[in-house]
Amino acid sequence: MDVALKIWRFDAETGERQLRDYQVEAPEWSCLLDVLDIVKDQVDGTLSFRKSCRMMICGSCGMRMDGRAVLACKERMLPIVEAGHVPVISAMGNLPIVKDLVVDMGPFWQKMRAMKPWLQPGYLEAPEDKEFHVSPAETEVIHKEALCINCGCCVSECNSMESDPEFLGPAALAKGMRFVGDSRDQATVDRLESYNSEHGIWDCTRCYFCTERCPKGVDPRDAIAKLGAESIKAGIDRDMGAKHANWFVTSAKTTGWLRETELVPKTQGVVSSIKEMKFAMSLARKGKVPLPFPPHVAENQKQARDLYNLVKEQGRDGAAGIVQGEKGIAYIEFADEHMEPGTGPASRIEPGEQPELPAEGGD
Amino acid sequence: MSKVAYYKGCLASLSAKELDTSTQALAPKLGIELDELESVTCCGAGDIHEAEPDYYLHLNARILAYGEATGADTLMTICNVCTLNLRQANWQLKNDDALRARVNENLERVGVPPYSGGIEVKHFLWLIAEGEGFELLKQVAHKGLKGLKVAPFYGCQILRPSKILGFEDPDRPWSLERIITACGGEPVDYPAKIKCCGFPIIQAREETALGELIQPIEQAMEAGADAMVTPCPLCHLSLDAWQQKLEASTGRTFGLPIIHLSQLVGVAAGLTESELKFKRHVVPVDPVVEQLSV
Repeated sequence: MDVALKIWRFDAETGERQLRDYQVEAPEWSCLLDVLDIVKDQVDGTLSFRKSCRMMICGSCGMRMDGRAVLACKERMLPIVEAGHVPVISAMGNLPIVKDLVVDMGPFWQKMRAMKPWLQPGYLEAPEDKEFHVSPAETEVIHKEALCINCGCCVSECNSMESDPEFLGPAALAKGMRFVGDSRDQATVDRLESYNSEHGIWDCTRCYFCTERCPKGVDPRDAIAKLGAESIKAGIDRDMGAKHANWFVTSAKTTGWLRETELVPKTQGVVSSIKEMKFAMSLARKGKVPLPFPPHVAENQKQARDLYNLVKEQGRDGAAGIVQGEKGIAYIEFADEHMEPGTGPASRIEPGEQPELPAEGGD
Repeated sequence: MSKVAYYKGCLASLSAKELDTSTQALAPKLGIELDELESVTCCGAGDIHEAEPDYYLHLNARILAYGEATGADTLMTICNVCTLNLRQANWQLKNDDALRARVNENLERVGVPPYSGGIEVKHFLWLIAEGEGFELLKQVAHKGLKGLKVAPFYGCQILRPSKILGFEDPDRPWSLERIITACGGEPVDYPAKIKCCGFPIIQAREETALGELIQPIEQAMEAGADAMVTPCPLCHLSLDAWQQKLEASTGRTFGLPIIHLSQLVGVAAGLTESELKFKRHVVPVDPVVEQLSV
């Protein structure tokens, strides 16, 4: 097949950035990585990109196609060619570009190291003549997080990190959960304390780009939620993000609905909220600050409170409360295998027809 | 007329009442009969999912159960965050019999009817972007938007994760553009229309949130937008109410009117100010209203 693509070339020495057109003949089974190899072999040997395993295991070939972070070895080209689309290939986002499609993974590894990504068994000793036992149920807690191949696709589009480059980000935090949830690890509280830092768990803006982009099904956003739940379970709730989250729980069990006006003082504390008075008054004039009294109470509100007490007795606090839902979500993720064709929730999304993304790898 | 269980969520009952009144006025014109749920609570907004995830699942199961009890097959939301939270819980319960049995046992113990997994959660946008809803919309929007340049802002949790939402391609959505065009407006394209407005961390990490918020506003204005439309009241609050903070921190003036989806279609359908309640917006919508009333 005849494949056309555009590639953003970058020369770090001159700072020159240029979108170039390429056209090559490639076998129909080609993935994006195969096509890039052909370009490098036959058209321009100076094109730079990372690669190694070619089978979605090494995590080397993360890059953007039409503004989306992908593994080049996972993207089949045939449907794109058949749709007559010319994709734009560029380097991943949120990391400095070294040359063409190669990014500097330094900041990525630095954040990964900050998570202390190794097992800390402390004084826990393995049973005599045996290894540590990890039950299937204990493995389930970190099954998804353990799938990470460090490709950086999640980091590429992290909206929080675009705004705050110091944010630990989805890959590092998912790695953190992989150890927090490991039944052999004894450093859980220390880890949670450290991940509750200024650029940690509570900086996640819940844009879900990480979950959307991950080529391995890690669901980093869920991993971050698990860390939040584990922190609150461990009583580490000093961060404004944790206080914000806790206020929703209080609201639900006391009135049923969010007690919106009290959310700011409950999150930021009274002193900070007084500084926000001018802002609050500007909203109050538009009816945007509903009076907390009399409270807006849901009908049958007692049920919501009883439910809270009942659930707390059953002890599925922390990450366990999220893990229990993963089976149901996995069912739709692999919908092709057991659902009627076209009935899965994402079955409406056609892979072939792709109008140009406005976000295509520019600037 | 098809009946749906109407879950309006927290904001439409509180700071974004204009979203509720305009939806209530518009929906019947588009063939949607609203059966408002009274016995329900907050969906947890992702916060309860993060703080007390087991409670999150039960609260949402309770909402779904009351939705199912209306006899409708659709529970209609008007907020991105409610949509994701309810759909996520719904898939977890529908596809896992053991989990649903446990949750139902708890629901029954506190006097809530059990949930059999028989309701589908859909955002208002999805009901009016295609099918009968869209056909009626084209007829109803007779007053038109007179070529108004409107920037669609989707926000996150109506697009991603697509495995849970899945109405349209999360990178190339089309529904808002289709509705803007059908109402006689001109959709404006810009990269940040699928990105985050910063709302979930606007109180805990304001600086980071404002760094996100500026992107859609700046890009939409550069693309020539007269106004921006969003299907989410949280995005609306961030884009509308926090715009003044963005102006203060950058020293620039934006003044971009932010309109709820129900208001945009509502204007084209000739709803009155008592239903649209544009006066409740922080950024004045007057320039748009004036342009349309000419």
